[in-house]
Amino acid sequence: MEAATVARSRKRGSGLSERRLAAAMVSPSLIVIALVAAYPIGYAIWLSLHEYSVRVPGLSRWSGLKNYDTALSSTEFWEAFRNTFLFTGISVAIELVLGVAFALAMHRAFKGRAVLRATVLVPWAVLTFGSGLLWRSIFEPDLGFANSMLSALGLPGGEVVWLGQQGYAMAVMIFADVWKTAPFMALLILAGLQVIPDELYDAAKVDGASAWQRFIRITLPLLRPAILVALLFRTLDALRVFDLPFALTRGANGTNTLSLYAYEELTANRLVGLGSALSVLTFLIVMVVSFMYIRFVGGNIRGLADER
Amino acid sequence: MRITRVMSAALACVALAVAGCGGDDEESKSAKKVDPGAADKATGNVNWCIGKDTTGTFSKAVKEFSSKGQVKAKLIELPEAADQQRTQLVQRLRAKSSECDVLGMDVIWTAEFAAQDWLQDVSDVVAKRKDDFIPSTLETAKYEDKYWALPYNTNAGFVYYRTDQVKQPPDNWEDVYSEAEKGDGLVYQGARYEGLTVNFLELLYSAGGKALSDDGKTVEIDSPEAVEVLKFMADGVEQGAVPKANSTYKEEESRRAFESGKATFMRNWPYAYSLGKDSKIADDFDITTFPKFGEGEGAGVLGGYDVAISAYSKNPEGAAAFAEFLTSPDWQRTIMTEASLPSTLTATYDDPAVQKAFPFAEKLRTAVEQAQPRPVTPVYPQVSEAIFKTVHAALQGDMPPEEATKTMKSEIEKALQTF
Repeated sequence: MEAATVARSRKRGSGLSERRLAAAMVSPSLIVIALVAAYPIGYAIWLSLHEYSVRVPGLSRWSGLKNYDTALSSTEFWEAFRNTFLFTGISVAIELVLGVAFALAMHRAFKGRAVLRATVLVPWAVLTFGSGLLWRSIFEPDLGFANSMLSALGLPGGEVVWLGQQGYAMAVMIFADVWKTAPFMALLILAGLQVIPDELYDAAKVDGASAWQRFIRITLPLLRPAILVALLFRTLDALRVFDLPFALTRGANGTNTLSLYAYEELTANRLVGLGSALSVLTFLIVMVVSFMYIRFVGGNIRGLADER
Repeated sequence: MRITRVMSAALACVALAVAGCGGDDEESKSAKKVDPGAADKATGNVNWCIGKDTTGTFSKAVKEFSSKGQVKAKLIELPEAADQQRTQLVQRLRAKSSECDVLGMDVIWTAEFAAQDWLQDVSDVVAKRKDDFIPSTLETAKYEDKYWALPYNTNAGFVYYRTDQVKQPPDNWEDVYSEAEKGDGLVYQGARYEGLTVNFLELLYSAGGKALSDDGKTVEIDSPEAVEVLKFMADGVEQGAVPKANSTYKEEESRRAFESGKATFMRNWPYAYSLGKDSKIADDFDITTFPKFGEGEGAGVLGGYDVAISAYSKNPEGAAAFAEFLTSPDWQRTIMTEASLPSTLTATYDDPAVQKAFPFAEKLRTAVEQAQPRPVTPVYPQVSEAIFKTVHAALQGDMPPEEATKTMKSEIEKALQTF
């Protein structure tokens, strides 16, 4: 009987301590998350509900949702919103197509594959701001490389002031982003390609499937999770784009983005409340988009598991 | 649960801190004042925070000053771009850091920094030597009838013109544009940034117009002069007097275009002169001070840097001694001959060594004398942004000039009402 009690109490004791142990083990990471993520977000929200005087030192006042009202009723916000989504939509779409193509090329076994994989990644390793400055000097009017080359080859566009016109400036920004991040996309998709078993292709070949059918029926469906993860990463990054418009045009000629707009209000104009409201709005937009993606990705993975 | 408690504690701290700041500063509304006599017996260390030392004269100043007297100075270099320097200084001052004693300040920051109580009142130091300075340069250090800084180096733009294409220096802006249209054009700083505000104000001032009233409270930018100037500039772009590429040009881009022989005229700062004398058009250009526009008188916009003493300096006497050294006749001659930085003292321009280094010293003094400061207001960044964004849109043909000046007026009025 004594032994039974001991056993029971140990059982109960171990049950409790297990839960406690779990809590204890999780708490450091929760605290770290609270410190590095929740605190700044909470602080930004707090700041966005206030106005901080640019005239009287240290003076601030509660302003409720006024900053949000100012932001949402300004034409600049909606212009930045449109530019950001235009940039994200086009650049991510192009990167996806190029990424799949690069990945397929890199996946094939051939001599020098390792060198190719390393080379393709070079643009991705360059600091975005640095590459932005590089593109700016390439697309500089008159003396820039782009215009001189186009004129020398007799191609149209030699007279275009690339960074000085609506539309063209956005095109350069998208081009610079694709150059830099298509390799990243390719790398993620390549990882997805490598887990597709060769037997599937062998079986399809035996059944007489053409290369195109094998790509459509085997490669693409099995690549879907990898593609969706890559899309998620790139989309979220693109929605927060800052360094490219900062380096290329400083937001002129239809390239102002949400992050750059928030930065200008926050640092140049020292409107701490409005700048924070803009950051919070950007954060919410990114959150909504990522929730949509995660639902999409999650559903898909489950769907794939069910099929098997 | 615990996390919620931590969070609310954190928020409460923030609330206290914010409220605390408000309380502190409300009481000490009158700024600290620097006593002009105290500098003589100063000792200790001072730090000078200013932009990157590209000419080597900042570190030389620190060395020379430290070897002479009781005070030891040290240089703290900030980034090269002015807006990054401002961000760095604002961060330090917001945190009430005593790291920087003497601040190197772009002339457009004076009102903003003074309004925040970040600077010490140096009116008495200025009063002692008021006649030494070129009067216009002192205007950049003034806010609400007090002086908050000593002018360190000044700057004013010129019209650069090709002597092989233009017979005599133009005496009005209309001629500059019409001859530019016939020749290879005029380049200036047309990108969407601070430089465009300067370029627009130069024409506006030359036409007799203004951005703000003298007390900085009323917006006067929707005047007939402003509409006329903006229309004139927009027509210049449309009719080809100014190349399309100019809408992306900052100082360096316009200098390169001019030096490569692609333009008949250029608006630029004096630094482009000596560089131009090393280029392939070295013998084919000259400079002239800004001409008049319409019924006005030639006027420019002042650039340059002032030196101010931080309100959080632990050694204001030492800082004052260093600021006085930086604006002394000897040192002003040195920055002009060695770093090509235009002096803020009238007498420097008569010095033979300076005239040898600056063949155009006399023109430069005239340019500085006829130049005016940019609008003096604590919300200058917003005012300037309203100007350069709207002017840029008008020059791109996206907005008619009448609408643009109205937009500028309402945007600036909104900015002036900022809390």
